[in-house]
Amino acid sequence: MSIGRDEVLHVARLAELAVADAELDRLVGQLNSIVDYVAQLDRVPLDAEVTPFQPGPAAVRLREDEVRPAPMVRGPEAVAPEFVDGFFVVPKRGGGLVEG
Amino acid sequence: MATGHATDHATVAREVGARFEAAAGLNAALHWSQANLDVEAARLARGDGAGPLGGMPVAVKDNIVTTDAPTTCASRILEGYVSPYDATAVVRLRAAGAMIAGKANLDEFAMGSSTENSAYGRVLHPLDPARVPGGSSGGSAALVAAGVVPAALGSETGGSVRQPASFCGIVGLKPSYGRVSRYGLVAFGSSLDCISVFGRTVDDAARVLAAMSGVDALDSTTVDRPPLTVPAPRGDLRGVRIGLPREYFPADLDPGVRAGLDRTIAAATQLGAEFVEVSLPHSPYAVPTYYIINPAEAAANLARYDGVRYGQRRIGPDGDVRALYQATRGEGFGPEVRRRILVGTYVLSGGYYDAYYDKAQRVRALIVEDFRRAFGSVDLLLTPTTPTTAFRAGEKTEDPVSMYLADVFVAPASLAGLPAMSIPVGRSEGLPVGAQVIAPMMEDERMLAAAAALETIVDAAGEVR
Repeated sequence: MSIGRDEVLHVARLAELAVADAELDRLVGQLNSIVDYVAQLDRVPLDAEVTPFQPGPAAVRLREDEVRPAPMVRGPEAVAPEFVDGFFVVPKRGGGLVEG
Repeated sequence: MATGHATDHATVAREVGARFEAAAGLNAALHWSQANLDVEAARLARGDGAGPLGGMPVAVKDNIVTTDAPTTCASRILEGYVSPYDATAVVRLRAAGAMIAGKANLDEFAMGSSTENSAYGRVLHPLDPARVPGGSSGGSAALVAAGVVPAALGSETGGSVRQPASFCGIVGLKPSYGRVSRYGLVAFGSSLDCISVFGRTVDDAARVLAAMSGVDALDSTTVDRPPLTVPAPRGDLRGVRIGLPREYFPADLDPGVRAGLDRTIAAATQLGAEFVEVSLPHSPYAVPTYYIINPAEAAANLARYDGVRYGQRRIGPDGDVRALYQATRGEGFGPEVRRRILVGTYVLSGGYYDAYYDKAQRVRALIVEDFRRAFGSVDLLLTPTTPTTAFRAGEKTEDPVSMYLADVFVAPASLAGLPAMSIPVGRSEGLPVGAQVIAPMMEDERMLAAAAALETIVDAAGEVR
């Protein structure tokens, strides 16, 4: 299966990742080589009895449904790019230049 | 040189600082300061130093969060970020008497096998600066191999401690998945990630692992078992059956690596171990399986870096919030991270999920079953850790798939969540060779005991042929 430029741009949009025109051809080549490589799994016979692996302990422990304070030595105002009056500040939605 | 067991913590702190200075050319440390070392020494002197680690200096891979130094994951997107909390592993190590010495360089977000993908420059191999130390925990490995610290934390997702340990001639130890809390380990591949340990000796690595291990309410995937104990030394391997999986000894295996394994098998036989050939037929599919599951989990985990709550922010030209996301991520992530996010998003996207992700998780189940079957007849497995010794910097950077294949012998145990470790077993043309010991799930102590016995008779610094 071959991935083209449009498909890379589509996936980049899904991943909210800007991709410059200058790097697009190189990325197309590298992504195709990776996807071609992993396609060798098609050679593994998989009958219906083989179920997907489930990671982690068989039974995940559930905590009590209660709010507990996080042990933070500094608050969001110290780590956020912009934090005002208890809110994370971002530009408004919509500007028309980026298609989703 | 201080061993980390000295009681004069202030002296040790000064010596560690001097060794960081002396090793600066390796580019193995991202953050350390004499002031922080002195604070650690004072804390140890007030009482924590009486713990089982006795003041041992331990470096920490810079994808494990600490409140007293930045945590960058070697990425521009987290440049200058200082965590508001400490990882559980760090809290436990401090309480057990470790001196947290500094933060080590890595492949950006732990994605790589050579530590050439750091946004802050590649790490040099301590024995040959033209070569790589392995990765992604190459900074931690180089700091231990160069004698800056006796032990260091790394993280494993698909071999990122065992492979650099093999390249650098030290011990690299990955516990069973769930033995050590992942709370505070920056998430990469959540079904695979394990905080892991480098040491100069099996005992140093085992003691650090034991101090960190155990259930943690902050990580629901930790296994509800008591903390590990460091096995008492045993002088032999009588009664131990060790499997040699034929898929890990291909005809084109590097002759120096093969000679190192032959020497290890001879040593174990001398100690009384019995060897049998076994087969793990799906192991050859571990790397392609891994490079579907890992990017898929990475793409999901790294969605959080959007320039809003923490980390760096870049503003798009039109000021729109999505332009902010795209510019921040587009400029903040390096090439390998971008590739993995794109591959991961692709294999999870509409129409491809069953063909890639679901299939990979089913093949993973077969890999797990291979191990289960093999451990029905043997106690441990012994394999080469890597197909070659340390390769030259730049040799694989243009070809992602050839870089991925450096992990061909370490990825299977990661996919299965098994405890596995690399021990140094000699040198080939001056470069270290590592042997890998793999144990059944939760049999970490059995693996450690066997590795400790082998360590006593294998000449790790000698040429293998």
